[in-house]
Order: sequence, then structure tokens, then C-alpha cells
Amino acid sequence: MGALIVSLFLLFCLPGTILAAEEFSFDLEEIEKSPLTWGGYAEIKWEHMDINQGSVFSLLNLSYDPLSTIDRLGGSLQLDGNYSQELYSVNWLFKVTGQQDDFGWHDTADVFAAYINLKPSPSATISLGKKPYKWGKGYAWNPVGFINRRKDPNNPDEAMEGYITAEADFIKSFPGKLQTLALTTVLLPVYDEINEDFGRQDKLNLAAKLYFLFMDTDIDLTLLTGDSRSNKYGIDFSNNLSTNFEIHGEMAWILDAQKMHLQEDGALAPSQDNALSWLLGIRYLTENDITSIVEYYHNDTGYTEEEMSNFFRYAQAAGEEFRQAASRLLLDRAIDASLKGYGTPQPGRDYLYARFSQKEAFDILYFTPALTAIINLADNSFTLTPELIYTGFTNWEMRLRFSYLDGKKYTEYGEKQNSNKLELRLRYFF
Amino acid sequence: MKQLKNSTRIFTILLTSFFFATPVFAVDGNELLRQVDANMQPETYEMYRKLINIEPDGKKKEFLLYTVKKGQDKMVALFLSPASEKGRATLRLGDNMWLYIPNVGKPIRITSLQSVVGGIFNNSDILRLDYSLEYDAGELVENDDTYTLELKAKTTSIAYDRLMMTIDKKTTMPLTIECYTASGMLIKTLRYSKIEDFGDGMVRPSVLETDSPLHKGYRSVMLFAKMKKKEFADEVFTLNYMSKVDELR
Repeated sequence: MGALIVSLFLLFCLPGTILAAEEFSFDLEEIEKSPLTWGGYAEIKWEHMDINQGSVFSLLNLSYDPLSTIDRLGGSLQLDGNYSQELYSVNWLFKVTGQQDDFGWHDTADVFAAYINLKPSPSATISLGKKPYKWGKGYAWNPVGFINRRKDPNNPDEAMEGYITAEADFIKSFPGKLQTLALTTVLLPVYDEINEDFGRQDKLNLAAKLYFLFMDTDIDLTLLTGDSRSNKYGIDFSNNLSTNFEIHGEMAWILDAQKMHLQEDGALAPSQDNALSWLLGIRYLTENDITSIVEYYHNDTGYTEEEMSNFFRYAQAAGEEFRQAASRLLLDRAIDASLKGYGTPQPGRDYLYARFSQKEAFDILYFTPALTAIINLADNSFTLTPELIYTGFTNWEMRLRFSYLDGKKYTEYGEKQNSNKLELRLRYFF
Repeated sequence: MKQLKNSTRIFTILLTSFFFATPVFAVDGNELLRQVDANMQPETYEMYRKLINIEPDGKKKEFLLYTVKKGQDKMVALFLSPASEKGRATLRLGDNMWLYIPNVGKPIRITSLQSVVGGIFNNSDILRLDYSLEYDAGELVENDDTYTLELKAKTTSIAYDRLMMTIDKKTTMPLTIECYTASGMLIKTLRYSKIEDFGDGMVRPSVLETDSPLHKGYRSVMLFAKMKKKEFADEVFTLNYMSKVDELR
């Protein structure tokens, strides 16, 4: 009888004990450090696009293949890592991609970053090599990001490619209202095969960022000088007004900003003018865990609604002529104008970005639905992107996203190549 | 004579009890809180933590963090695993908090109420500063083995407006902490357990569990390991250093 009671006791108590022990184990081997660390992710992405047939960019991009839909299956592999010793570290980031769609196979292999950090002390670091820069406080745009790669507001985290630079970084902390002061200076050469996509060649450029943490506010003063691009001066800030409310802004003063204008005959003519671009944004967290990011962006170097409309009308006529007379002259001019300014992402002057996301919606852990909108405030065209993200399986991320673009004739989003895009992305981190 | 002896003994006991009892009634709440802080963590240290989110069906997700703290208001935590979170760093300087994500490449400001790991622990739980820095002691109630101390946030930028802390008299360390909003709603309950000797005179709980009436059935657990006193430069606790925190290990 005694044995039975003991057995029953063990039967009822032991599973709990084992579970508790299992739950609370902490294997110290997990925290051992190796000088060499590496990781990355592998990704598979499927995309289906409905073509906005007759739109300007469908005429320019698909002049030989007037498709109604495009299906694309792609994969990518990103590898990052570093080898670290006390006085130096070597860092790298590589990415290879491949995709198959209605146009065939396309692949890329890029070194996004490869640089050495020399660290004589915690307050000083010198870097040499290819390194990405992400200056500015805005989520969707960074007018003060003078040496950033251009960001896609729908995928702001994807622009990881750097420039070949020599950088010195100094940090000093203080007690009192000024808590941190940090100076980052960057030499960015532009020569044949070195940063040649940055701007005019055979020039050495200097970029600098002076950061203050002053009275609980992040403030950056930035500049870019050199002859590859126009001289630029900027300021940004970010501050938490309360536990759930953040405000940020950026302002950039660009001297002799250059812009290409489409002439009546289809030729491009450059213009130079000073420009003041700025951004103001907020981030707000509600009690039910909805994070709202709203940003207004004024791009002073952008095109007015009338300038954009003129380009669309010209390109439309060029596309029609190509279709009817098979003459590429006007079409090539329109494509050239598109590449040199009119076809860049968000080429207009005034935009609103809004993103609403809810962590653990419907009480599902690691499930985040989100809705992103980008509106061209001049022509009222817009893109609306609902998405679902699930990260519940360790090291896996699943994202389902649908983008809907709409606008009247001769507006930015009314003339995009796609009218919508459905995208399923599966990412495995290792 | 015997009666006198008894009377003297009773008087002595009463007198002794009186003198011994007085400090108990005179315990200052803020002083008690400072003592709790001193027992829970030294001013400057490094440690490793494992966060475990447990779902109602028993499914678990674990995060491993390396954490460094200096003084009363500087703290940085680096995610070592899982791979999807590796390299993420959160920095706290007083009321300011930032998150650095390697794939984003720059620090962004975050708020104390958000959670970078999901589950019940939010950012202020992961980057917890000294209680006495953020809270003023309120009503103190003495029980047989414990004190119950009410804490009121010093500013509106603190994640929880009010705490009810149950403190073990013997160890002067917290056993449970109930976290309330300004409207009096219970957000979560934190439970410390398994006191462990970390060496160098640091004896403190090694497990922190939490649950929330807002997320019924969900639990989160924080395990502490390899806590040790270590000096760091102030410049380690800056935005420019967030991508390099792993070099401190």
C-alpha cells in the first residue's frame, strides 16, 4: 500500500519536477565566445504582380513584352560575420540572389560590407573598407542621410550596401545635460571602380556627423562636402516625449542641388538651385500595443505635380508611338528621363508615410499584422500595403504582403508598372 | 524574591522587545528600497540572462542576452541567440531607450512599454534600473516574514505607475512585485526565486518569473547567470557603441 502511495505520488509529482527543471536550465556553454562569429539568412520569395496595362511605366519597362501579369520566384542568401581581437575586428556582409520570372533568370552576387575596425579605446574607432551608412532619424526617408544608399520606404531595412570609406569615430560621455558627444568623419573617394555610382569621379568627399545626446534628445549635425555631389548640411533630432510617444525630424540644406528637367522636345536640361528638404515624424504606441509611425516628407529637390504630369504625358505619347510606328527615339528619351530622375522612387515633393502595426494581435504571440500607406500629397495617388508577419518558430520569419497602388491618370502611383503585388517571403536565420 | 526576579525578567523582556521592535516600526521605505537594490545588483557588472516565453500549449521560445550595467542609469543588453535576434542591442540611459538591429543598421528610439522579445517582459523589465532610481516608497506594511512596500513612479516616463513589492525580511530581497497602471489595473506580477551565490559577495535570486492577467496562460521566465562585477568606460553606453557591444565579452 505504501509503495502504491509512493508510486502515485511520484507519478503525479515527478512530471512537474522534470518539467520545471527542463524549463529553467541554463547551459553555460551557450555563452562561450569565439573570436569568429558568423550568421545570416536564407530566403525564398514568391511574387505575383498585376500589370497596370497602359500605364506609363508599363509602357517604358515592358515595351517589348506587354504582359498582364508577372510571376517571380526568387531566393537569396545573406552571410554576415566578424573576426574580433582586442584591438581590431574584421567584418563582412555578402549577399547572393537569384530569381526566375517571365523575363528569364537573373542573379546577383554582392559584397555589401567588408571592413576592418581598429579600436585603440572604447572612445575611438577607425574603420577602413566598404561599410554601410544609415544616418538620419526617419523610418521611410532620410534627407540628412548624405552617404546612405537610397531607401525603399516599403522595405526600409533592405539597403545594406555600403561605400568604400575611411572613417574615424570618437565618443565622449559626460555627466549632466550633455550626456554624449560623438564625432564621425568619413572620407569617401570616388574614382574608377571605387564608389563610382556615388557621383562625379576623381573626387575625394568628406562627410561628417556630430552627435549630441542633450537633455534626453538625440541631435545630429551632418555635412557632405566634396565635388562628387552638391554640398549638403543637415540636422536631425529624436526625443521620447513620454513612455509611448516619440517625435523625430530631419532637415537638409543642399547648395546648388542639381535636377534634370524634361524639355518639350524630349531633351533633358539640368538646373541648379538651393533646396531645403525636411521630414517630421512621430511614433506612438497605444494601450492595445498598436505602434503608429507617421511621417511627412518635403523633398525640395523633387518634381512638382505639373512637372511629373508633363513627363507622364510625354512618356505616354512616346509609348504609343513605339507601339504604332515601332520608333524608339521618343521612347528612349523617356526612358532616359525616367532613369535620371522622373522614375526614381518617390520623385515628387510632398509625401505622407503611415505605418500601423500591432504586436501579438488577437493574443497570438509573435504575430504582427501591419498596414503601410505612402501618399503623394500633390496628386493624391497612393500605395496601401497590408501585411502579416509571424516569427513564432525559432529562427523562421514568414511574411505575407499585398500592395495596392492607385491614382488618377498622370499621377505617380496611377502610372506605376504594377497595379498590385502579392508577396510571400520565408526567411530562415542561422 | 522569586516574584521580584520574575517581574524583573518580564520587564527586561518587554524592554528588550520594545527596543528591538522600534527599528521595525521605524523602517524607512526608501532606505529599505535602497537596501533591496544593493542586494539585487551591484552598481557595475556584467551578466548573462536567458529569457523564456512559454505559451499556454507549452511551446517555448528562448532568448540569450549579455548585459552590462554601470552606475544607476546606464545599461546595455545584447542578444546572443536565437540567430534571428543575434546582434540586436538595447541601450538605456536613464529614461532614454534605443534598439539597434543589425539589418536596420542604426539605433532607433524605443519606449519602455514596448517589448523587443514579445511575451510578457517589456523593455523596462529587460533593462531594469535600480528601483530607488525610478520609484518613491509609499505605504510600508509589516507582516510576519515580509514587508509589503508600495512604490510610486517618480515621473510619468516610468513604465509602471505603481508597484506593490513583497520583501523577504530575512534577505531584504523582493519575492513578488505587482505592477499597476495609473488607473490601478494590474499589468503583471513578477516573482523572484532560487537565491544563488554568484560569487564576489553577490547572493541574489537567479530566476524571475512573470505572468499577466492581460495574457492569460502565457508565462515568461528570466534566468540569471555569470553575474560579476566589472568596470566599463562610459562610452560603452552610447549609440555609436551599440554595434560593438559583443566586443566587451
